[in-house]
Amino acid sequence: MVGHIKLAGLIAALLVIFLPSFILAQDVSFSVSPAVVKIDNLPPGEAAEFELTIHNKDEAAHNFTIAAFQPPEEERGEGRAEFPDDSWLSFSSQEIEVAANSEANVTATVAIPREQKWAGEDWEVWLGVAAESSDLLAVRLYARLLVSTNHAMESTSNAGLVTGIVVGIILLGCGGYYYFRRRVKPE
Amino acid sequence: MKAVVTSIVVAIILVLIFSLPALAQESGTITITMTGVNEISISLDKTQWPLGNVASNTEYETSPPIEWCTLTVEGNCNVNTFIVGEDATWVDDPGAYKWTLSSDGTNGDHIYGLWFRISGDNTRGPHSDGYVPITKTQDEFWPYSGGSGSSLAPGGTKQFGLKLLTPNYFVGSRQMQTQITISAVAA
Repeated sequence: MVGHIKLAGLIAALLVIFLPSFILAQDVSFSVSPAVVKIDNLPPGEAAEFELTIHNKDEAAHNFTIAAFQPPEEERGEGRAEFPDDSWLSFSSQEIEVAANSEANVTATVAIPREQKWAGEDWEVWLGVAAESSDLLAVRLYARLLVSTNHAMESTSNAGLVTGIVVGIILLGCGGYYYFRRRVKPE
Repeated sequence: MKAVVTSIVVAIILVLIFSLPALAQESGTITITMTGVNEISISLDKTQWPLGNVASNTEYETSPPIEWCTLTVEGNCNVNTFIVGEDATWVDDPGAYKWTLSSDGTNGDHIYGLWFRISGDNTRGPHSDGYVPITKTQDEFWPYSGGSGSSLAPGGTKQFGLKLLTPNYFVGSRQMQTQITISAVAA
């Protein structure tokens, strides 16, 4: 039975592959800037924002999608590790319509969780922008995002502030104690 | 009284000594560097390959075979490029029937192969004939590991062609479509 079906398939073996079109269309022409974004000294627990500009150079409006992509190790910059979690990246919109011959900005936010283990790290992740298309060939453009976190966490700096206040209170206490002791001393 | 004033002053100084660096750290500068006005963009002069009806277990090449499509670097930065394919799906009901894209360019029942070849590249690929399988994992397009080529500069071009190897067996009379994505990142 299976053989018959296969035979029928082979005899029938006529099928249209790839949306038939006799127009050899050019792809959606667009650009992304900046091509490289470098964020330095980002303390764990804080966030940084920047804008990606998508320039639709086509004569028609198009929808563009934005998504993070983890590049393979050999494509990352020297000393750059894999970005630990894509959920730390967010976009003002993951899909945006850009009018013909126009630009649109997408705000990207990088938020690092407040944990000591993320301090002093150098990561790389790519932000891919693609135009929605049903053509056989499509183009995706990546912006390289290089993120370096601060060596010190915010909590360390708070420790300094607390120490300063405690020392101040102790000194004020001592001063007050000696002042009142001298006042109650009989002349 | 003198002691009180002295101790208050000392206390304030000490608090400032400890807390100012701490406060300064809290407002530490997060540097975001957008590398110049770098804009990334590539274009393809063809995006469709209207094949029409195809037979099983048969190879189809674009015409001309290796100079069918031209990739041009349109932005103002050097780029590395990549290629990735996907399963072909039935246009009428994408969830109901598909051809799986093979991981090595070979075919099978409902499994098809896709290859690309860059003009002037005669020795690349598993058969050292210039043809390289397109898989569902993003691979190098140009330049590539082990090759002598370098990143494509603004205005630079690469011509390439495609080859399709249809499945040994497939369900006939169904219109299939797939997409090959060529991507670029700043070198």
